[in-house]
Amino acid sequence: MIVCSRCSKENQDHYRFCLGCGAELPRHSAKPRSFAVPETQGAEPSSPKRDTNAPRARGAHAGALASAPSVEMDPTPARAVRAEPLSVDDPLPRELAPLGDETSPCSHCGAQVPVNFRFCHVCGNDLHAVSSTEASSSGAPAERVSAPAVAEPRPETKRARLVLIQPDGSEGEAFPLSGGRTLIGRSTGGVFSNDAYLSPEHAEFRFEEDQLVVKDMESLNGIYIRIEPDVPIELFDGTIFRIGQEILRFEGPLAPDPAPDGTQYMGSPHRGFLGRVSLVIGRHATGNSYPVPPQGIYLGRERGDVLFPEDGYVSGLHCRIHSEVGHVFLTDLGSSNGTFVRVSNESFVPKGTFVLMGQQLFRADY
Amino acid sequence: MEQARNYVCTECASSVPSGHKFCGACGASVPLEAQTLETRFFGALQAPGKARLIVIRGDEAMGEGLSYLLQATEHVAGREADQIPFPSDNWLSPIHANFLYRGEKLFVRDEGSLNGVYIRTRRASPLQIGDQFICGQQLFRVDATPKDSSGPEADQTYFYSSPRRPSPFRITQILEGGMDGIVCCAHEQAVQIGREDCDLNFPDDVHMSPRHARVEMSGESLTLIDENSQNGTYVRIRGERELGHGDYLFLGRNLLRVEVTA
Repeated sequence: MIVCSRCSKENQDHYRFCLGCGAELPRHSAKPRSFAVPETQGAEPSSPKRDTNAPRARGAHAGALASAPSVEMDPTPARAVRAEPLSVDDPLPRELAPLGDETSPCSHCGAQVPVNFRFCHVCGNDLHAVSSTEASSSGAPAERVSAPAVAEPRPETKRARLVLIQPDGSEGEAFPLSGGRTLIGRSTGGVFSNDAYLSPEHAEFRFEEDQLVVKDMESLNGIYIRIEPDVPIELFDGTIFRIGQEILRFEGPLAPDPAPDGTQYMGSPHRGFLGRVSLVIGRHATGNSYPVPPQGIYLGRERGDVLFPEDGYVSGLHCRIHSEVGHVFLTDLGSSNGTFVRVSNESFVPKGTFVLMGQQLFRADY
Repeated sequence: MEQARNYVCTECASSVPSGHKFCGACGASVPLEAQTLETRFFGALQAPGKARLIVIRGDEAMGEGLSYLLQATEHVAGREADQIPFPSDNWLSPIHANFLYRGEKLFVRDEGSLNGVYIRTRRASPLQIGDQFICGQQLFRVDATPKDSSGPEADQTYFYSSPRRPSPFRITQILEGGMDGIVCCAHEQAVQIGREDCDLNFPDDVHMSPRHARVEMSGESLTLIDENSQNGTYVRIRGERELGHGDYLFLGRNLLRVEVTA
């Protein structure tokens, strides 16, 4: 609880502005802790190629998906949003203005809008139209998708390696990947032998042409690959993904049970749900679950439809699930620590991709 | 001049008091309607101790405001029932429930229906794991927290799960068609249900109150508490339940009110 120094209203810990008067509140601990991904990750060389392996989005749909309109994100919640009010060009007469001076009139409809609102709550006018245009043009995902697939030289597999990323974000040991098959697990020694969440034989890496491929050796906890931000990945029934410390399972469209003797099972209105997202809390147990309505859902620590207020590794707004042309997709929204999708049997590992196995994070360099 | 005070025999014009079957003077028989002075009701609805069911929200084919007088001993309701039919509501089993008198008391009995009979709670109602209840348009079930061993697998690998929080019970929404919808694990000892600012929020459900109901655990026992919601909270009955004046029932989509003439 943060008590506003200006109006004494009590605000929840994650509020940046006072609910009562709009004054900026002191920040405490909402900045997400690093999830062992180095700060420089944005500069990592990453393959412009889109791999064709499931569960990636299908190429035929990718263009349309990537250019689908998306809300402008603030991926790092600690980044300050505009704190000072907009300039007031056409103020209402004093007697019409609400008490206090913490609102400013909407340039479109004139309604008094709290200064911390980005959009007018009466007419929906974008109060920062200028800055949002800049942001959307700079992050056009279409470029990423349409980048040509350049034929790369056969990699120097001698140099191919998995680099351990330590909790502080620095690089640790590197494990060489041979040109043949490299098995990794608790039984293969090194830092792997101490990780109780790795199966004795957990993952196998190999090269196919110039592409690194990882195969899940039917491990208990699986292998997770970080997905690219803003690139939709198709979700299938049973797809498991991870944001922050949370392991989530997508359950496909909820098919109605057959009804005996013509009687239908009664229940809450079914709003055409696309499926359900459940928190995995055990081998055969899930915790909270949320049906995904046709318009999709957003997931984040502070913002969205499904919130993880206690997980500091989840970004304020982290990812979204939505539907296009009858398929359901997961999109990372530029989160700090990334969205990881569990490999189903095997998957390509593009250069520079982060891979989670057991308790540890690696980067595939080759 | 004054009026004869009793029945007058049609044979001998003698006066015959009520209760006599024959004229004491001439032996002529007294007609049946003159033998007793029982007062009849203008309508059967006035009969004391007899209940009726008013359809508050109902079957499209049968209409709202319809009432059923429960004059017999047993009254079967269902999609194919003769006495209380709801032919167009496919949430009702063909034979769904029975309204029956036992002595002076009226009971409702679930006749093994698929979807059950729900009665409006009066403020608080005890719950057991597996019980179902309705708030607004939403149907819920109370579930136990699943047990999952935390030990390692045979090969000594531990399962990596999301961070777990202790939770004594959970509330699961049941969707039309029987599938599970939203699931909310109780954080502390209670789950609050309503339109906004609760643990389970249904902003689109216009029949739900802002704060509608909550399920609480104290010790080992669960209680469902209606928070003075406008439309009430309904609990599925087990077996049968005595009914009183003013009780509300859901049978499928049909909302019924029980009225008992005093």
